[in-house]
Amino acid sequence: MSYLCLENLVKTFNKTEVVKKLNLEIKQGELVSFLGPSGCGKTTTLNMIAGFTEVDEGKIVVDGKPVHLLPPNKREMGMVFQNYALFPHMTVFDNVAYGLKLSKIGKSETQRRVLEALEMVRLSGYEKRYPKELSGGQQQRVSLARALVIKPKLLLLDEPLSNLDAKLRQEMREEIVEIQKNVGITTIFVTHDQEEALAISDRIAVMYEGRIEQADSPVSIYNHPKTDFVSRFIGEVNQIQGKVTEILGTHQSKLNFYGNEQIVAVNAMKNAEMDFFIRPENIQISLVETNDRNIGFKAKVERKMFLGAKTRYILKAQNKHLIADISNVVLNSNLIHEGSSVYAAWKPEHLLPSRNVR
Amino acid sequence: MMQKKRKKTKKQLETWALLLPILVIFIFFFLLPLFFLFITSFKTFDASSGIANEWTIQNYVKFLSDPFYLGIVWRTVKIALLTTIITIVISYPVAFHISKANGRIKNYLTLLVLSPLLISMVIRCYGWSILLSNNGVVNNTLMSLGWIDKPLTLLYTELSVVIGMVHVLFPYMVLSIMGSLERIDPSVIRASQNLGAGPVRTFFSIVLPLTLPGIFAGSVMVFSLSVSSFVTPAILGGPQVKVMSYLAYEQAAVLLNWPYGAAIGFLLIFIATITIIMYSKILVRSEKGVAIQ
Repeated sequence: MSYLCLENLVKTFNKTEVVKKLNLEIKQGELVSFLGPSGCGKTTTLNMIAGFTEVDEGKIVVDGKPVHLLPPNKREMGMVFQNYALFPHMTVFDNVAYGLKLSKIGKSETQRRVLEALEMVRLSGYEKRYPKELSGGQQQRVSLARALVIKPKLLLLDEPLSNLDAKLRQEMREEIVEIQKNVGITTIFVTHDQEEALAISDRIAVMYEGRIEQADSPVSIYNHPKTDFVSRFIGEVNQIQGKVTEILGTHQSKLNFYGNEQIVAVNAMKNAEMDFFIRPENIQISLVETNDRNIGFKAKVERKMFLGAKTRYILKAQNKHLIADISNVVLNSNLIHEGSSVYAAWKPEHLLPSRNVR
Repeated sequence: MMQKKRKKTKKQLETWALLLPILVIFIFFFLLPLFFLFITSFKTFDASSGIANEWTIQNYVKFLSDPFYLGIVWRTVKIALLTTIITIVISYPVAFHISKANGRIKNYLTLLVLSPLLISMVIRCYGWSILLSNNGVVNNTLMSLGWIDKPLTLLYTELSVVIGMVHVLFPYMVLSIMGSLERIDPSVIRASQNLGAGPVRTFFSIVLPLTLPGIFAGSVMVFSLSVSSFVTPAILGGPQVKVMSYLAYEQAAVLLNWPYGAAIGFLLIFIATITIIMYSKILVRSEKGVAIQ
């Protein structure tokens, strides 16, 4: 039984459909990321859930109750904003207590819960400070405490880390996940940063042009992308073409890549040209010809870039470029020079078939 | 190190050079006359030459010990305060709506608000005196409706002075409040709603406190302009509703008692300054967060 249910959501701004019949079910306690490029409708969808944007069509059901017609102040959702949105004229304590004061619980209970929430985000002792006196990370933690202290039905995070610097961002995202798991609150996390989404989500809903392309676990999204957009958007991919030379059975065909044949688990038609994606880290290179299942073909190293843990090689084979990322532990990058010839190879199971049928 | 210092001096020189024109005007046409005014206020009055060459504090003693003059001080401050409060009350909703309008409509509405400033002060005041006089539009309308038997005394009262001042000064307040309304981050409003506050609660807990700096800036402008205004009280209040600026004018220009007029002028500046300082102190104390902001 799903806790949050988005049914056929539609939103139109000035005759442009920003969200197109969006469907998603989220289980209780799940952390789901909305991931997509800007303009994909992820923030609009979040605003519809929070009630800041009217729903044109469709339903939003939380815990069995439809909420899409309620004003935002009646929806009991906690939101953390990109720019923190703390009340600048209130102390940290008053910011966190704001929602509790409205719910008319006692003064001592308010105090207890505020202090508890501040302790949870490791800001005990900051009660009397004003937002302007806090760093960005601290402000974001106050914002998180303020959203969680009212024990909302849903926690909505709108690109909460994008205003923080890289190091702090990583710390904060771990902290957010930890708190989210401890509290056990169902959470939606909007982001355009795929690394962030992969790192923290139970499931990722990859969005593109107002639709959810795929909603799956990070591992499935990365390893088994269901659409070309997901393949290209998550991680990096090389696009390659192969020609079907032989059908070996259902879901078993022989294809020719760069003059070498390889058996791939796809359904195909004989002589068809097929597109595949392959991730740079799944391409191996060696100075000698490789063996068995992996096809090996000759390629020239056009450029190489040292990236710390790995080295990126831009290869050229049959006038097409391929990017290969090789761990520096596996292969010493000093052995391979720009301009030298190498053998490139990949395993057939790493090929991601394109859905784009030609 | 040396170069850095030289660079700094050059920068300072530029700053002063840019400030020079306004400084010249400020010093020669404001501070210097003010200084002479101050000197004059401590001189005795001489019927033949105006200013006699003798020092005295009698001008101040005379003014501050006479209930008649003190009454005028109170009236001046009262009119300015009333004007300020009324402008706040009528300007806030206007500013609120304009700040929510968009694009072209916003520009037109702003222009409309500024329109009282486009008309000459004297013409606008005579307009009001036509409306408010015993035989004016307001009284005639009320009488023909049968609501009153004889005309109400509207003109040459504190009321008519306040009406005239509010009319000319409210644009300052609207612009000032609008500025602070537009500076409010929309997501702060959303955060308040998200935490369960309805529109009314959000307004009083979030919007109003965050616009206090705007209200304050507008109030300082309106108060200091109305406490020292001369044309409006002169035309709409006349000799019946004397205020300090009128009194100073009367002493200096009609009775030619320059030292006494100077003393009154100085007390007026003093009162305005004190009020503004007190006002800002109260504000800072009540709204620490905004002051920090």
